[in-house]
Amino acid sequence: MFFRNCKKTTDDNDLPMPQPLTQHELEAYLDEALPVDAMARVERALRDDPKLAQQLIAINGRRDAGVHSLGEIWRRHRLSCPSRDQLGSFLLNVLSEDVAGFIQFHLDVSGCRTCAANLHDLKSQQSDEPAVVDNRRKKYFQSSAGHLRRR
Amino acid sequence: MVPLAPSDQLLVNRIRSGESEAWNELIARFEGRLLAFVEGRLGRRSAGEDVVQETFLGFLNSLPNFEDSRPLESYLFSIAAHKLTDHLRREGRRPTLPLAAGSDGNEWEPPDRGRAVSSVMRSGERRGLEESAIVDALNEQIDRLRSRGEWQKLGCLELLFVRGWANRDVAIQLKMTEQTVANFKFEFLARLRTLVRKQGLSEDVFPELQEND
Repeated sequence: MFFRNCKKTTDDNDLPMPQPLTQHELEAYLDEALPVDAMARVERALRDDPKLAQQLIAINGRRDAGVHSLGEIWRRHRLSCPSRDQLGSFLLNVLSEDVAGFIQFHLDVSGCRTCAANLHDLKSQQSDEPAVVDNRRKKYFQSSAGHLRRR
Repeated sequence: MVPLAPSDQLLVNRIRSGESEAWNELIARFEGRLLAFVEGRLGRRSAGEDVVQETFLGFLNSLPNFEDSRPLESYLFSIAAHKLTDHLRREGRRPTLPLAAGSDGNEWEPPDRGRAVSSVMRSGERRGLEESAIVDALNEQIDRLRSRGEWQKLGCLELLFVRGWANRDVAIQLKMTEQTVANFKFEFLARLRTLVRKQGLSEDVFPELQEND
């Protein structure tokens, strides 16, 4: 299996990351789409280097001008993300080795936070106290139901 | 473009008609994954729940603008990301920048809010068409890689275009030559260019299509 040796085996800080920060990474930062550790790295860099803020403003300007970024569109539409059903099968260990290897890569190396959140949620469904979950959902409902009307 | 699933379309229609049971159903279906998303970044459950609460309110407020061509889950995650950004700005963890036209930090709205209506109509429609075309083109290539079991190539393209890694770093991570990475990238961009031209769209609004390395 190709991805067998590609799994992240160290802290995310040790993964190769181009220096200085690339435009792709700054775009993903603006979309809150980088892995958590990488988000923190950008935030640290922003505190140390005021020029980075100018780069972020420039990216927003390009977006407002109608220039597209492939990465931005790819992320927004989650084009290579596994489905939630596939993530469930991944948890149950019933996928082929190749597909499971890609999902592991997508989570660990590509660092997809949306898929990681889905996976975490699927795991939590087996462990969370039903009463705690019910209370949380009631709170969400009660705080928002007043805004529900014919739209 | 990946359309809204029929079951999601039905759910959204019921919510639009004010059905509280449908709203409860949406909350039950999505709150866990949204909470995991924001809590992973904030590290605190109570703050995470607040952001999810704001996300659901943001969804209801933006419902008149929700495009049915977009998957419901990715729409909810984009609102959650926006609310999370606002929360981090209030905490001082993110800089305050003109992050999106019309963003006031209190209400989630499409980024074109605030412009002259005619301009919004023209640019919004055009951008939507361009985005739809590129999504179709990307989907075609990704589906082909999946059906052929070319997971290595798909992983390579994710690192190049989604994470924005340089060819050299991708080659190191995937234990392949830089030339192989460059070949994958060239082939992928060439196919995208062809598909964009077929749609009669300008390549100027997709600067990455001009990259050759």
